[in-house]
Amino acid sequence: MVASSSASATPSGLIPAWPLSSMRVRVWIVSGVVVLLSLIGLGLSWADASIGAPLRPGLDFTGGTQIQLERQCGETCGELRALEVSEQLRGLELPEEPGELLPNLSSPRVQLLDGGTSLLLRLPTLSAAQGQAVIEGVTSVAGPFIAGGQSVETIGPSLGGQLLRSSLISLLVAFGGIATYITIRYDRRYAFLALVALAHDVLIVCGVFAWLGLLVQLEVDSLFAVALLTIAGYSVNDTVVVFDRIRERSRQNAELSLSQQVDLAVSATLTRTLYTSGTTLMPLLALIFFGGSTLYWFAIALALGVIVGSWSSIALAPSLLTLWEPSRD
Amino acid sequence: MARQQGWFALVLALAIAAAALLFTSPLQLGLDLRGGSQITVEVQPAGEIKRVGPEQMEAVKLVLDRRVNGLGVAESTLQTVGENQLVLQLPGEQDPSRAARILGSTALLEFRALKPGAEQDFQSLRELRSQTQAILRLREDQAKRGELSDQSGLDLEELAEAQKLFGLEGASGTETEQLEQLLAKVNDSIVELYEPAALTGKDLVTAGRQPLQSNPNSWEVTLGFNNAGAEAFAELTKSIAGTGRLLGIVLDGRSISEATVGPQFKTAGISGGSASISGNFTAEEARELEVQLRGGSLPLPVKVLEVRTIGPTLGAENIRRSLVAALSGLALVAVFMVVAYRLPGVVAVLALSLYALFNLAVYALIPVTLTLPGIAGFILSIGMAVDANVLIFERIKDELRSGNTLIRSIDTGFSEAFSSIVDGHLTTLISCSALFFLGTGLVKGFAATLGIGVLLSLFTALTCTRTLLRFLMSYAALRKPLNFLPLRQLPSPSV
Repeated sequence: MVASSSASATPSGLIPAWPLSSMRVRVWIVSGVVVLLSLIGLGLSWADASIGAPLRPGLDFTGGTQIQLERQCGETCGELRALEVSEQLRGLELPEEPGELLPNLSSPRVQLLDGGTSLLLRLPTLSAAQGQAVIEGVTSVAGPFIAGGQSVETIGPSLGGQLLRSSLISLLVAFGGIATYITIRYDRRYAFLALVALAHDVLIVCGVFAWLGLLVQLEVDSLFAVALLTIAGYSVNDTVVVFDRIRERSRQNAELSLSQQVDLAVSATLTRTLYTSGTTLMPLLALIFFGGSTLYWFAIALALGVIVGSWSSIALAPSLLTLWEPSRD
Repeated sequence: MARQQGWFALVLALAIAAAALLFTSPLQLGLDLRGGSQITVEVQPAGEIKRVGPEQMEAVKLVLDRRVNGLGVAESTLQTVGENQLVLQLPGEQDPSRAARILGSTALLEFRALKPGAEQDFQSLRELRSQTQAILRLREDQAKRGELSDQSGLDLEELAEAQKLFGLEGASGTETEQLEQLLAKVNDSIVELYEPAALTGKDLVTAGRQPLQSNPNSWEVTLGFNNAGAEAFAELTKSIAGTGRLLGIVLDGRSISEATVGPQFKTAGISGGSASISGNFTAEEARELEVQLRGGSLPLPVKVLEVRTIGPTLGAENIRRSLVAALSGLALVAVFMVVAYRLPGVVAVLALSLYALFNLAVYALIPVTLTLPGIAGFILSIGMAVDANVLIFERIKDELRSGNTLIRSIDTGFSEAFSSIVDGHLTTLISCSALFFLGTGLVKGFAATLGIGVLLSLFTALTCTRTLLRFLMSYAALRKPLNFLPLRQLPSPSV
């Protein structure tokens, strides 16, 4: 065995593979442009009369009835277009409920899932009998359906508001807790930057979904809220590991400038960050490709969060840290 | 060496225990995976109670619990959520409307006597009621068969007159809607003809049902009262016996049955404290009424907020799909780890399999009800569990590259990676606990599975990976840096 020499003394160990501080302006421009695009998307949705919120709210937030039907598809099952189903729904006569207004079926939202083998209907709040009438009504165009393969969900709008409130409160408390922890273990700058990176990640994922809401009418549901919360947790986790290295570097190489310390630390954790994002992305990609319709957009939101989260922890957050560097001239 | 083997034995024992646990107590699957209905109701303030507090919730839950038990669905659960909501889960139940009806109605049962002199009005209202009901039933049948004819055979003119009488002329809506409005008005008017309640369901102790002797297709509901109730019932029947005034049985403000009391009860009334309601019930209706009456009346009204029903094959499909996704995702990760890290990669795959096994065992132990987002949380936490291993192995590589011996590199790798592993896991745990304690529903379930995952990942990375790696290092054949790093990355040729 060769005589060991310490890592910090070898010249090769001090050449960063990823000279971040020399590209920091470019990093900021990329992040800035994407955040700006996200904000525009959120703003446009808000201004859009048919949405009126930063993201197109789904059934979980607005209330209504969602019916999912699985077609008994064999040779007999013909081609189906969503338009035919919505036509059929418009002409449907629903049984009445005493003391309730008849639900308006003039603008049903019909989606074909899993290559046309299942059908998703989003409708105003229906009673059980009315839901049954809808199922019978669409059987003539899209049926027959598998008896055990249906789901009917009726959700009151107050639940969505509640979910939103409780998610926001718990997110704020989580922010506070994380900021306190990082302040104690590191210092206030790190805590602030971890939250900046987190806000950056969450904002971009929201922005992408706002654009999807504008362009393909994608709605966000409570699973999306869960995805955002997970992204927030992942983002901080990812950033903290990089900060840990920077701190270690600043102890080992106190003589170097902050920019150099940051460059060395980020380079040292680069493989780890890419590997970890990669291994987290693998199950998510499997979920996207094989998981079926229920978790499809959930997995996409998470995958997006992982990608943006890696960017913010290896590029954005450490490069912002160099802003604190005392000028040397 | 002995210490290594001790740790190894412990890890092995834990793995066997976890596997045994999974065999004996299977995982609890959520309704989205096994099919069934979930109903969320909100308890609403009424009368003097302006705010629903924990005491009111407890009282409502007690009544609903009894009613749910009456439904006869195995493994149903009723849980309080937030301040004023209750979530009922009925695995396997495919007709949520029945359950919602039973939960939602207040089931306030009253016995009332007809006001003196109201017999005439009552007779005509009763006729009008049965006529309206008959037309409605006919229309329903016609709608079901898809034929709509005007040949109802009933006197529509008389009905139009009745509508006028109740101020319903020119009412909007379809025919059915108009008829229903009329029926509601008639029902209200009938109840107004009664005196205030002499006896309510409070004094009820038993409820049962049986088919009528005269017509086995029609059922009656039998009632048994406590002493006070029996007395009140005797008093009530005595006062109207032989007068031609009827005894009305009013449920939730609607008269569901009327009975005459024969003159033979003039002296003592109907004593013994039992009665029966025959309102032309079908077997199913009689059963529902029985369940509601047994459960007692709700102290506060409830409103059904949400009803979700998932068919069993859709649930099975969801399981199959997430299983395929989980397994293929894991296989990808395993291949990647072995390619990227060689021997430690193999160790990581073993450690991650242990991690998955422990995770599922904890789900069975606590128990955690596994739902679709829960599975997603589990899949995601596997990705994050890999992170700890990656951090350690990267450090080991660093140490090897700078020329340290293998055993020293492994030890240093673990200790150097320790602080960032702990920081990363703790921050995630902080947000998990915030989400768990303050979130509701989906968020709570997701936070629970992710939190368990984070804790276990901390355990497996710091003990299992380490123990397995050290155990393997006790075999000289495996103690080669080449098993850890490709040759070109080593600082110089090694032994």
